[in-house]
Amino acid sequence: MRLRRGQKPTRRLAHVWNEANCTACGACIIACTATNAPEMMHREEKGWNSLASNIRRIESANAQGRPTMLLNQCQHCEDAPCVHTCPFGAVYYNDDGLVAIDERLCIGCSYCVAACPYNVRWMHPDNGLPKKCMGQACLDLVAANQQPACVQACPANARDFGDLNDPNSSVTQTLRRLPNRVLLEKAGTKPKYFIVESAS
Amino acid sequence: MNVADLTLQADVAHWSWTIALFLWFVGIAGMGSVAYYFSRKAPLAITIFASLVIGLLLVVSHLTRWWNLPVTIFYAVLELSFNFQSWMFWGFVILSVHLVFSAVVVLANIPYLQRFWFLRWGAVLNQSNLFLGGFAFAGFMATVYSGFLISTAAGVPLWNTALIPVLWVISASVATVAVLELFYVFGWVEEREAAFGLRIGMGLDVMKLLAVLAFIHISLTVGTMGAQIGAERMFSGDLAMLTWIGVIGIGILLPLAIGAFTLLFGKKKPLLAVSAVAALAGVLFLRAAVLLAGIWEPLVI
Repeated sequence: MRLRRGQKPTRRLAHVWNEANCTACGACIIACTATNAPEMMHREEKGWNSLASNIRRIESANAQGRPTMLLNQCQHCEDAPCVHTCPFGAVYYNDDGLVAIDERLCIGCSYCVAACPYNVRWMHPDNGLPKKCMGQACLDLVAANQQPACVQACPANARDFGDLNDPNSSVTQTLRRLPNRVLLEKAGTKPKYFIVESAS
Repeated sequence: MNVADLTLQADVAHWSWTIALFLWFVGIAGMGSVAYYFSRKAPLAITIFASLVIGLLLVVSHLTRWWNLPVTIFYAVLELSFNFQSWMFWGFVILSVHLVFSAVVVLANIPYLQRFWFLRWGAVLNQSNLFLGGFAFAGFMATVYSGFLISTAAGVPLWNTALIPVLWVISASVATVAVLELFYVFGWVEEREAAFGLRIGMGLDVMKLLAVLAFIHISLTVGTMGAQIGAERMFSGDLAMLTWIGVIGIGILLPLAIGAFTLLFGKKKPLLAVSAVAALAGVLFLRAAVLLAGIWEPLVI
C-alpha cells in the first residue's frame, strides 16, 4: 500500500548484512537474480560489468593490500532521493517502509537511477524498468511471511531482514548488540541497509 | 581510505549525447523566446518551435518506456500521483506550456495561415506584450529547468551545484546570440540588432568562461570525491579534449577572437558565420562534457 504524504509506515523493514560473517560466496546475488529476474541469469549489467542483480558485489583492496568486499543494494532510505525525483510518483514508500515502484506510472526516464547516491538501480534491457531491491518476487515472499531470497540463500547467516519497529525482531536485536554502520551517512538519506562489523 | 566502485553515470543511467542534445535544443528555444520579445522575426519563431519539437522528440526517444507515457499520465491524473517535488515533473509542465506558446507564435508568423479567420487570434496574441512576456518567461524557465534537472540528480555529485542552472542560462544566451548572428549572415535580421548581439555575445562569452572555470575549479578543490574525479576527467582526463578544445577553444575563445576582430576591423559575414557555428557547438560540447563527466560517489570500503 502506497504511503500518502505525512503518513508513517506501519513497519520499518530493513536489511542487515554482517560483513564479518560473509564468506563472499555470491549465493545472495545469484538467488536475487534467479528469484526476481530469472531472464537475466546469464546477462550482465554493462555499466557495472557484473551480473544484473539487485545486489552488487564491490571488490577492492585495503591500505595493506588485503582484498575487501562490499555487498551493496537498495538502502530503502527513509528520505529517498529516488522518491523525490520521480516525476509521476512511480517510486513511492509502501506501508512496510520499503521503497517500491508502480510500473504503471514509470516512463523509464532513468531519473531515479541518476538520483540514487548508492548506484544500486539498473535499467532492465527488456522492459525498460529501473530495477532494484526488492523485486516483486521477494515482496511476495515477505507478504507470505517468508524472508527475501538473499536471506534464505545465505549459507553463513550473514544476511537478515526484519522490522526495526519491533524490539524483538532479530534485526533490532543484532543492531542493538553489534557495532554497525550505514553507507554514505552524510548524504542524509536515512538508509535502512545496515552493515554489521563483527561476527555474531 | 580505499576507493572502489567507479561507475560512470552514462554507462548505467545513460544520460549522454541524446540528453546533451535535448538540453541544447531546450536552451536555444528557451533563451530564444526571451530574444523574441525584442526581435519578433519569423525565422526566430520557427527556430524556437523547431528546437523545442526536436528536443522533445529526442528526450522522448531516450525514455525506455516512452510507449507508457499516455498510460502514465492517465493514471497520474486519476490518482493525483504527480510529484511536485520533482524538477522533471515541473519540466513537463514548463515545456508543455512553452510548446503551446511557441506554436501560437509560429502560427502568427506564417502569413498563409492568416487567411483562415479561426487562426487570426494567433496574430493578435503575437502583438501582445503580455503574451510575449509570458512566452519569454516560459522559455527562461525551461532553460532554468534544464539546469535544475541535472543539479538535483543526487547520485552524481559533480552535478550537485547551484552553478549549473546559471551556467545553462548563460550558455543558452550565448547560443541565442549565435542564432541571431547566423540570421544576420543570411540577411534575416538587421545590422543594428546583430551589432547589439555581438557586444552582448562577447560579454556572455566572458561570463561563460568564468562560470565554466569556476565549475571545474570548485569541483576539483572542495567537491566530494565523486565531484573531484568528475572534474578531473574534464580538466586533465579522458574528457579534457572535449573541455579545452570543444567547450573553451571552439565555444568561447574562437567567438571572442572573431568578436574582437569584428569590433576592430568591421563585420565580415563569413567570419561571423564561423563564430556563430563555433559558439553553438561550444554550448552543445559544454552540456555533453558535464553529462559525460558524471560519476557516482565512490563507496569507501
